[in-house]
Amino acid sequence: MATYFIPTEEWEALVRALSRSARLYAPRAEGEDYRLEPAGDDSPPPPFSRYRAVQSLKAILFEPRFDVGGYLGGGDAAGPAGGGEAVVLGAKGCNIAALAVLDFALGADVPDPFYARNRERTLIVSSDCLDFKEVCFCTLVGGRPYPERGFDLNLSPVEGGFVVETGSPNGEAFVARFKDRFAPASPARLAARDAARAELTARLREHQRRLGYLWGAVSRELVERVFESPVWAEEAERCVECGACNFVCPTCHCFLLSDHGRERFRRLRNWDSCQYKGFARVGGGGSPRPALFERLRNRYDKKFVFCPAVIGVSGCTGCGRCVEACIGRIDMREVMKRLSGCK
Amino acid sequence: MNNPYLPVGATIREVVEESPTIRSFVLLPDEPVPFLTGQFLALTVPGVGEAPFTPSSSQYVTDRLELTVMRVGTVTEALHAMRPGDRVGVRGPFGTGYPLDAFRGRGVLVVGGGVGLAPLRSLLLTLRHDIERYRKVALRYGARTPADIIYRREVEEWRRDGRIDVAITVDRGDGEWTGRVGLVTTILQDTGIDPRDSVAVVCGPPVMMKFATFKLLDIGFPPAAIHLSMEKNMSCGFGKCGHCRLGTVYVCRDGPVLTYERVKDFREIWE
Repeated sequence: MATYFIPTEEWEALVRALSRSARLYAPRAEGEDYRLEPAGDDSPPPPFSRYRAVQSLKAILFEPRFDVGGYLGGGDAAGPAGGGEAVVLGAKGCNIAALAVLDFALGADVPDPFYARNRERTLIVSSDCLDFKEVCFCTLVGGRPYPERGFDLNLSPVEGGFVVETGSPNGEAFVARFKDRFAPASPARLAARDAARAELTARLREHQRRLGYLWGAVSRELVERVFESPVWAEEAERCVECGACNFVCPTCHCFLLSDHGRERFRRLRNWDSCQYKGFARVGGGGSPRPALFERLRNRYDKKFVFCPAVIGVSGCTGCGRCVEACIGRIDMREVMKRLSGCK
Repeated sequence: MNNPYLPVGATIREVVEESPTIRSFVLLPDEPVPFLTGQFLALTVPGVGEAPFTPSSSQYVTDRLELTVMRVGTVTEALHAMRPGDRVGVRGPFGTGYPLDAFRGRGVLVVGGGVGLAPLRSLLLTLRHDIERYRKVALRYGARTPADIIYRREVEEWRRDGRIDVAITVDRGDGEWTGRVGLVTTILQDTGIDPRDSVAVVCGPPVMMKFATFKLLDIGFPPAAIHLSMEKNMSCGFGKCGHCRLGTVYVCRDGPVLTYERVKDFREIWE
């Protein structure tokens, strides 16, 4: 949409003002990592995160366990009221890419009304990566270490402040509301932003090349072609069916409704995992994927075949969270590398 | 806010024992739940959970719903313990229903197995409502034993009044059974329905669906004319929760009835 410049101190003052009028989520540094958490209005200005946080936007927009309401006398059939306006800072390119999957999965046709409400009430302020984690591989799945679309506002650090790009009418309205703090972005600052982006992208690609990961462009064809490969069963030997890969994934969106109460009946919407044995099992006990390796394969099928075919985007954004979370050390990059060697 | 996750209340009016493991439930919903034949509902047993069922009543009857349920798991077990007057919840309808417009003027071969006759009963009642629209309607139904035949009296009535050409077979007879013995796949030929310009509708256990489909293909039904009721694990019912994904479709949203043409290239369709 449009680009602006804001000096660092102006941005920090703006964030402080925001934290008093809306729920603010911001990265908090913890060792080498960042945690994306609610920020109080008295906390110091949040750091500019160099790469993605441990948590993705999913946990904010689509709660892990959410009471959707009561029935047959269980009260508030409309569901809970929700928490008002929110602002999220620190989303990176991979997380903005994930929103396209969540928006389709939870928002298309008949939308999940609670996701739709959270999405509507949340201003998403993303930012360019300045570095990458060892597990980052966005460039292998068509992504970039900076967001190009899908944010409300995106921040790119340049000398003295940030280039701010608006990506939505909400983002435009935000800049208009605080217009005194923003200036037009000069061609020199835009050039500085673009140079930093190109440099980091090249560095990340070199990182992939050094590790021998070159499968990106063919991932969809690859997963379709290697359905019968023994690699699935070999990799699944280390899977303990914990579901961590699903829960940390910014695009995994499957959930299960569960019923509670003896007199006041409530229904909860819970994150679910396609790695669990019962995920696709029907009442009579039959399951299309009784073996663990079939469920592991299913996760790749959803990400690399279903999502491109149905949504038009990759279901994997290359954030590397599942690589970090897996206690069996199943590494999606390694799996794809092994598969690409299959006939 | 319209909340698609919560059911409307319904009172159980009547419970009918169809077989040792199958019961029909007549429900009076607190507000009308209009549906198209083939669409399904999520039935809530309060505090226990939900399971998806296609109503077995006609789409033209709107003040009550009939569901025929086999006792197989947690929800159906709890439902079978319920009595007239008990309260349940109903959510839906979901899915797309049978494409009746595409059936018009053609022959309709309805193939059922076991409790799979439940959703087909809704279809047959709806077809009988204006049977003159279809060239010929035939039911071919297979059950394991004579005791497993559901809607027995009603199916006999259909057979007698002749609007539907009915044939039944059982896998194993008993002392009194004088009818056909054998799998349903053995009675799909010579139905008087021309496979080149007709449709087939199949519902039953997965293994029966598989072999019935192959038989229908053999006989000459095109893949696009074979309509299959796909049974999948479903939670939300409207294409959000991800449980029922089959290849590139969500069975709840795009089905639950899908043509063989639509699913034949997917894996895991018969499981």
